[in-house]
Amino acid sequence: MKPNLKSVLSSFQKRIHALCAGSAAVLFLQLTGCDSGPILLPESNPTRLSEWNLFTIDEQFFEPNEETQVIYPTNSLFTDYAHKLRTIWVPPKTQITWDNENLLYPVGTILSKTFYYPKNASGELLKTTDPQNTMIALYESKLIETRLLVRRNDGWDAIPYVWNEDQTEAFLRIAGSSHEIALTSINGTKNKDQEPPQKFTYFSPNENQCAGCHTTDHPDGGLLPLGAVASQLNTTVLDQTDSNSESQLDRLVTKGWLTHSERNKFSKYTKSYNDQSATLEERALAYLNMNCSHCHNPLGPADTSGLILTGNHRSPINLGICKPPVAAGRGAGNLRYGIEPGSPEKSILVYRMNSSESDEMMPELGRSLVHEEGLKLIRDWISSMPGQCG
Amino acid sequence: MRKFCDLNNYHFSRMLFLMGIAASAFLNGCDSENISESAIPFEEQLQEKLISAASGEVITIPEGVHNISRSLSLNVSGVTIKGEGMDKSILSYKNQVQGAEGLLVNADNFVIEDLAIEDTTGDAIKINNSENVTIRRVRTEWTGGPLTTNGAYGIYPVQSRNILIDGAVAIGASDAGIYVGQSTNIIVRNSRAEYNVAGIEIENSTFADVYNNIATNNTGGILIFDLPNLPVQGGRNTRVFKNKVYTNNVENFAPEGNIVGSVPAGTGIMVLANDSIEVFENELSQNQTANILVVSYLINNIPINDPLFDPYPEAIYIHANTFIGGGMEPDSVPLASLKQATGEPVPDIVWDGDKATTEDGQALLDPFEILCISNNSSENFVNLDAGNNFQTPSFDISPHQCELPALSKVEFASAD
Repeated sequence: MKPNLKSVLSSFQKRIHALCAGSAAVLFLQLTGCDSGPILLPESNPTRLSEWNLFTIDEQFFEPNEETQVIYPTNSLFTDYAHKLRTIWVPPKTQITWDNENLLYPVGTILSKTFYYPKNASGELLKTTDPQNTMIALYESKLIETRLLVRRNDGWDAIPYVWNEDQTEAFLRIAGSSHEIALTSINGTKNKDQEPPQKFTYFSPNENQCAGCHTTDHPDGGLLPLGAVASQLNTTVLDQTDSNSESQLDRLVTKGWLTHSERNKFSKYTKSYNDQSATLEERALAYLNMNCSHCHNPLGPADTSGLILTGNHRSPINLGICKPPVAAGRGAGNLRYGIEPGSPEKSILVYRMNSSESDEMMPELGRSLVHEEGLKLIRDWISSMPGQCG
Repeated sequence: MRKFCDLNNYHFSRMLFLMGIAASAFLNGCDSENISESAIPFEEQLQEKLISAASGEVITIPEGVHNISRSLSLNVSGVTIKGEGMDKSILSYKNQVQGAEGLLVNADNFVIEDLAIEDTTGDAIKINNSENVTIRRVRTEWTGGPLTTNGAYGIYPVQSRNILIDGAVAIGASDAGIYVGQSTNIIVRNSRAEYNVAGIEIENSTFADVYNNIATNNTGGILIFDLPNLPVQGGRNTRVFKNKVYTNNVENFAPEGNIVGSVPAGTGIMVLANDSIEVFENELSQNQTANILVVSYLINNIPINDPLFDPYPEAIYIHANTFIGGGMEPDSVPLASLKQATGEPVPDIVWDGDKATTEDGQALLDPFEILCISNNSSENFVNLDAGNNFQTPSFDISPHQCELPALSKVEFASAD
């Protein structure tokens, strides 16, 4: 049984931020003034995550600063079954504006994403569905990394922090890092002792690798958020701390971060690839959009392949249907086409999603494990396709 | 309250070092241990340098074999990566655990020289969407010989402009040793490609000069290809000259499914679906399928779903080449049948004979407008009549005996 986070939250809301109470960051905070909100660092990237004042942490809980807003985009990029806690913060007296259907975040905005795994009483890390918590109970979780996207004057900066073993601080690792992980599956009815844990190396990206996904308009565009976009936030998330069920965009309005009038003109939303009421194709395209289209879009670095996985491809061949590979190397898996309708086992798309070899797998970065659920969805979708290649 | 200390973290240690005594006093209670730069793995130091580099910076790779386990990448324009020689400064990826390439570059005004990249799991050097790229005296190699498990490409600029590859060596790629795709303004010269499936491949590109190179012991020596369904296509204006292209007879070891997997072992120079290509003053010898193949995309038997794609080669000008031997063991069913039927080696210049026609089947171009041949060391030629299922091959070179104006030299500032 999970402890009820709701019941413990109120005590935290009154708590003074640990960082201000005294820590190794005292000197820094004295210099900058110890504000209760996150601290905007216009240029430098501090060595320690705590210096941003985005979170409080003690032996029991990792909690976003209450000035931030926790968000859950409709779809999430697969990252080796890690759970993710995301926050937005915009500086006081600034607002998010609109550029057509895109959110334009003000200079100073900090987006954070903390990757963690749940663990059991004996310390084993667990493969479970992300419960979308708004804070992390450290006695039943292990923090891996926190990635920041910070909107500077000249664009977004990606800043990767990696948590120490003691779970007391995350440190800047611009060249990335790796962690040996063993994941125990508790989904299903089998006794877990019968299923050995899945061992793998979890890779935290370096700054360039952050750009590898976040530079969707390549190469001239800068980095862009992938999850904190309007269509991914125009959904309801039942918050565990209350029963508030307004759209996340409306929450940003309530917080004064987004203008009301323009928000009301926006009605687009992304289907969830988990939405069982959506069609197989809608779910498959939603999955490919979130997991592939940051590179496989007409302006992205993988347009060199002619494979466009935004869901808005020009023609079936751009979606990979009966399309020969271009520069796939071993990733082609001795197969002739990206998608062979009705035959997932003959489709390069499935082959590459099902591989964990670094020169074969897709996406190229961000995972060491196969996303079994995503793979099943794409298999089912290809199986359902009519027709055949010549 | 726990203190925010992490004594094993070198960034933190470096900060302590910088802050000196004041820091030590302020961090009273955190036992610290200064870790010098040398304790940071070379790989991580190098990746940090690549991330933090400023335009104009030269990043040096010292002599030695440096183990790299994750892809390196560079996004800063104006950076030079320089070693002490392609046999001295070696980045070895034998134990690579992450990344689809050894070095990934998205940066203009990029120079890499005098080093080697060995045994990457995927491509050795990929350069995407960059302008003014110089690759000089760089070796990319899979050291275990020609294996299907080798990475696809050695030197791989794609969707780039003004690319100079000079004095490079590319060995063992399971696709192409030197592969320039979807690019324009390209010079590949003074380089050697050996034991790759394709030695040097120029694909979906325009304005390329490929000269003074050696391509040997590949499956195919030099390939000039154009493929459909790509954002950049319409390959044309490439000059292939003064190259030595010999004994490219290595069995095709490309993973199936890839276009080069269909290249017959024993191919010297192959032009597929490109227009305005000039092949001259090359020395081609002992390529045992054929010294020169000129073919349409249709030869692959892959359906074409691209109305914008022209599958036929046109304005191919082949002159003043020297042929020695070759054509003795064609790795192609129609060419093997041809050899058997004639009892002669496959001719030095082979054209599949497929051409653009009107709806009522009339050729749109005269034969010499498609393929123009003059002054080679032999006049051995065949038109395979592939469109009619190879029924009536013709050895008559006369419809193709002509001269075309020379293509102009490829020039750009960073190649001066």
